[in-house]
Formats: sequence, structure tokens, C-alpha cells
Amino acid sequence: MKDVISKEQLFNHSIDAVWRAITDQEEISTWFIEADFKATLGYQYTFKSSEENGCTQITGEIKAATPYELIYTWIVEGTGTETTVRWLLEEVDGGTKLVLEHSGISNYQDNETALAMFNSFNGGWDNCIIELDKFLMKPINV
Amino acid sequence: MSEKVNKIFKAIADPTRREIFHVLVAAGTALSVNQVSEKFDMSRQGVSKHLKLLREAGMVQVESVGRETYCHADAQPLKEVQNWLDSYDQFWDEKLDLLGKHLDQHNQKKA
Repeated sequence: MKDVISKEQLFNHSIDAVWRAITDQEEISTWFIEADFKATLGYQYTFKSSEENGCTQITGEIKAATPYELIYTWIVEGTGTETTVRWLLEEVDGGTKLVLEHSGISNYQDNETALAMFNSFNGGWDNCIIELDKFLMKPINV
Repeated sequence: MSEKVNKIFKAIADPTRREIFHVLVAAGTALSVNQVSEKFDMSRQGVSKHLKLLREAGMVQVESVGRETYCHADAQPLKEVQNWLDSYDQFWDEKLDLLGKHLDQHNQKKA
């Protein structure tokens, strides 16, 4: 099984704009997940779940936050299994290249926490995605 | 997430069961419980216990012929696990899509 999910994406925006979007608490809360977040080494962040839609809460620690590399651990509530998310930005012609890596996924598989994770995700993930869809619809409706 | 996926995870959480499953896949044909026992230097009872969990996960099919029980591997359920991993994959795709939209909106407002 693969252990790393890797994504590469180009944004037609300055590296500082992208950096702000992934490190600023307010911006993160707008497009990603409602966050208690500070891009400071050692900060214990929380991506909050909202009770009514049953999204699973995610917590972790900032491991690196030097422009333009952001690394934090990613622990899904109730699993105790640590995975790692790394955001790396690079200035390219006409914009910014983002390389996102989510590693340690296989940690879920080697022990019973995988089961706990499944249970805590039960329904939650789907609801999160429904919420995402709603968010996506907003600008269209306006 | 379905009860079915939970069972698959339970089945593959144990290294011995992963080995047994691997042996059955590699064999490419049905093996008797005795044949599996021999390969693992394990009691018939011990193997049966593992096979029961694999069977509950749908990863092993069992057939009785005379006095012997034969089993063969079915890898199809593993696709469900792959699907779950894919959902993480999809999660990031959607989030990055949102990030792109966010950047577009945010910067337009400023302009």
C-alpha cells in the first residue's frame, strides 16, 4: 500500500499570498477547516469539528514553519495515530507551485487504531464533504 | 464506513493473517486447511481461527469436500481499503481546489 499522498498544484498567485492562505488562521478557516492555528514551531493546533455535522477533529503540532515550508503532524481524533502533512511552496513563472505531501498513512493499517479511525470517521467524512460542497456552491449562488 | 470495511481492517491487522492470505494468493488455487497448517508450522485449530476472520472479511472463501476443508483467496475486498485511502486522496484534491478558489476570490477583492 502507498504511504504518501502527494499533490502538486500551480496557483496563479504570489508565493506570499499562498503562504498566507495556508498559515493564517482566518484564511485557513475560510477555505480549509475552522482552525485554531499559529504557524509557530511547536504550536499545538486544532482543526475543529463542528458538532452538528459530525466532522472529525484533527490536532497536531507545527514541526516547521519557515517560508515557504510548513510541516505539521496530523492526528485524527480518537486514533492516536500520527501522520504528517507537509506544504512546500516554490516560486515559478507566473505563480506558485505547491507540493503537498501527506505521509504515514500506512500507520493506520498496522494496528487496531485503524479500526478506531474508521469508527470515528463513520459518517463524519461524508458530512465534511457535503459541507465542502455547500461551501463550493456559495460563490455561485451569490 | 461499513462494518464490512472494519472486518477487512481487522483481518489484515494481524501479520500472520496477512501471511496466510499471501500464501493463498500465491498458491493461485484452493488449499486445504491442513496444507496451510503445514506451511505455517501451526496447529489446524490456530489456522482455522485465522481463516475464520479472513472469511468474515470476505477475503477467503471456504468449501468442504468430503472430510477436508479447502480455502482460496479473494482479493476483491482489499479494493474497499484502497477506496478508503483514495478518499484521503480525494479529500486533498478537493481542499486544494478550494484553496485555488479562495486565492482567486481573496485577490480579486483586493484588486
